[in-house]
Amino acid sequence: MTAAERSRRSVSLLIFVLSATCWGLLLVKPAAVKHCFVTGGELSRTSLEILLLTNPISPMLAGWGLMVLAMMLPKLIIPIQYTCERSFKNRRFRAASLFVLGYMGVWMVVGALMIGGILGLTLFMPGSYTPAIVVGIIAAIWQFSPVKQQCLNRGHNHKALAAFGRAADYDSVLFGFEHAVWCVGSNWVLMLFPVLLPGGNNFVMLAVTLLMLSEHMEAPRTPRWRINLSSKLIRILFAQTSIRLARS
Amino acid sequence: MATYTRKNAWNQNGTFSNSDLLWYAKGVRAMQARALNDQASWWFFAAIHNEYLSGQTTFPGWAYISAPPAVPTSPLPSQSIRDKFWNQCQHQSWYFEPWHRGYLIAIEAQIRAIVIGLGGPNDWSLPYWNYFGPGNQYKIPPAFTQLTLPDGSPNPLFVKARYGPRNNGDIYIPLPPVSQDCQRNTIYTGSNAVTPNPGYGGPSTGFSNAGSVSGNLENNPHNMVHTYIGGSITSTDYGLMSDPGTAALDPIFYLHHCNIDRMWASWNAAGNANPTSTNWLKGPAATGGRKFVMPMPSSRAGWVYTPNDMKSLSQLNYVYDNLSTGITKQLVGSLAQRLTKLGVNLIQTQPQPDENMDMGGNSEMVGANEGALTLKNSGARTAVRFQKEAWAKVPKSLMNASVTKVPDHVYLQLENVKGKMDSNVLAVSVNHKLAGHVSLFGLRKASSNDGHHGGAGLTFILDITNLVDELHLNNALDADSLDVTISPDNDIPNDEEITVGRVSLHRQPQS
Ligand SMILES: [Cu+2]
Repeated sequence: MTAAERSRRSVSLLIFVLSATCWGLLLVKPAAVKHCFVTGGELSRTSLEILLLTNPISPMLAGWGLMVLAMMLPKLIIPIQYTCERSFKNRRFRAASLFVLGYMGVWMVVGALMIGGILGLTLFMPGSYTPAIVVGIIAAIWQFSPVKQQCLNRGHNHKALAAFGRAADYDSVLFGFEHAVWCVGSNWVLMLFPVLLPGGNNFVMLAVTLLMLSEHMEAPRTPRWRINLSSKLIRILFAQTSIRLARS
Repeated sequence: MATYTRKNAWNQNGTFSNSDLLWYAKGVRAMQARALNDQASWWFFAAIHNEYLSGQTTFPGWAYISAPPAVPTSPLPSQSIRDKFWNQCQHQSWYFEPWHRGYLIAIEAQIRAIVIGLGGPNDWSLPYWNYFGPGNQYKIPPAFTQLTLPDGSPNPLFVKARYGPRNNGDIYIPLPPVSQDCQRNTIYTGSNAVTPNPGYGGPSTGFSNAGSVSGNLENNPHNMVHTYIGGSITSTDYGLMSDPGTAALDPIFYLHHCNIDRMWASWNAAGNANPTSTNWLKGPAATGGRKFVMPMPSSRAGWVYTPNDMKSLSQLNYVYDNLSTGITKQLVGSLAQRLTKLGVNLIQTQPQPDENMDMGGNSEMVGANEGALTLKNSGARTAVRFQKEAWAKVPKSLMNASVTKVPDHVYLQLENVKGKMDSNVLAVSVNHKLAGHVSLFGLRKASSNDGHHGGAGLTFILDITNLVDELHLNNALDADSLDVTISPDNDIPNDEEITVGRVSLHRQPQS
């Protein structure tokens, strides 16, 4: 293994630990963090109004942020390694943090819109399945569309970063921002699942995380309609396991 | 099983008196007569490397290539056949060498089957063009420039869109800048005193995105030869060899790659080892990627192979008639040159124990320019400013260098180079001294948003250790920056531009 690969490996390890910590927090659910699962069925109009009055948005958003970090950090390994390698040593941590900041910024706005939208629909169309069905149809179309493939492809783009001063900070944030835009484009549909399904469905979160990671690791492809789910992660697991079995 | 011997294309002066070339021409003609969707056709094989068939409305779309050859764009094979076989070529990767070795074996098998069918020798093998050979061998073998075969029929080896280094149809390889210095490297992936990053064979790709950098063999001579053979006329008419999406349409492609393959074999014969990591041996499939697969005359389903199958030529029953490159290994490399320059009398040391080991430590960026550069005909000039504390380690390491202590490698990096015209070579100078040349082969594909790195472009690494050392010895190092100029070899048409995202400077300690 070259020195570059060794240092990449330590960055990946650190990020995995961070992601695992977020998962741990989500499972423990401290008081300041309210899970962001929104379930229309459980809430009546009045109870929702009471809920909104007692300001549930910020703990819900905190829960959302934690969930995005837990689920997305493993996908950020390669751009973070890239940001580190292309920054001065004494700026690496700062650059990587700013990248994550720019990235999270976009997802927080999306989270607020998604949660707000769902709460609003529950409020004005209580008990109706129509919004869920409409969103479901759009989601299914998007998932297999060329647009989604375009977003996935652009997620592989690593832009040039300025090296010095404020220009460097700006570029790190911008890189995180742009990366998040393509990430939202490819994953908003999948992120609806853990939000819409009844609370505490950690299995769904895990499944969505693995599918997103798998899609993200797939090499860019020509955008076109494709009705299939990525099997990259399974292919990797299969190949690496058979390599290790053969070795032992 | 027979042993196949690949011989020099310049035998019998590279004319059709060389029967290897005459049979090759007949084989190419037969393959070109087949349809695009025939897995044994010339066109299908070119697309296995890379293609511009779907979604192209201008050159280099295959429909817009001026004949000969008259390139068909239909009938397309089924989507699943395309997904399985097309656009496989491995570039900017440590799989470059083994993938292309299998590709050569596959087309050779197709042509051999045709040759045998026509009553030719049953051990016909692909000849190589060793542009580093003596005399006229830096020129393309004349058989490729004739309009007709000896029997008066059109010569399928002749290609119109092949313009050469001066863009006038005169095809030769300028030596220098094309060189076989990479043969002095001793590590496939990594660095040491005689091997700059990313190593002879290329960066490990698979899990990591190693940043679109070519290995040293791939960079020079491979990429350079591609662009020099191709050349260009305008942005809508450049040589087929200049771009990976059209390169394998030109019959000279396979003779060039045969020579690259010979250089790899020669490098191994000199005692240098291929990677032993399973992720290399098993190929991209080890990390969930595509399998290497080629149509064979004997198998429509295709022949699946891995780098492990390609790592030694003899296990494949192939030999080259001549493996010499005329390059002798320098045991102590650049350090010896430097100490000799300083007047230190070097007693030829024993081979270093670390000779075939990766000694490269963690690279660190020590300087960078500000802002992207746009290249026009006049080139571009920029100041690469040092980051004081980081840079301070470089002169210190150069000062303390001795026989036992190898100084830091210093690299100049051209990052996120983007554009649409591959047919160019950039000359890079540092403080008015030539630092090296880079070929833009693969630029268009690497700059496409749906390309392998989502449009990040290409990145080039130039080893400038000796240059910086010399500046340092002559006290000619500026206190806060390096003056870098980049000039294109070929004109950049008005409607085209090439951008360089950033120019940066890196140091890599050697343990
Ligand atoms: Cu090539």
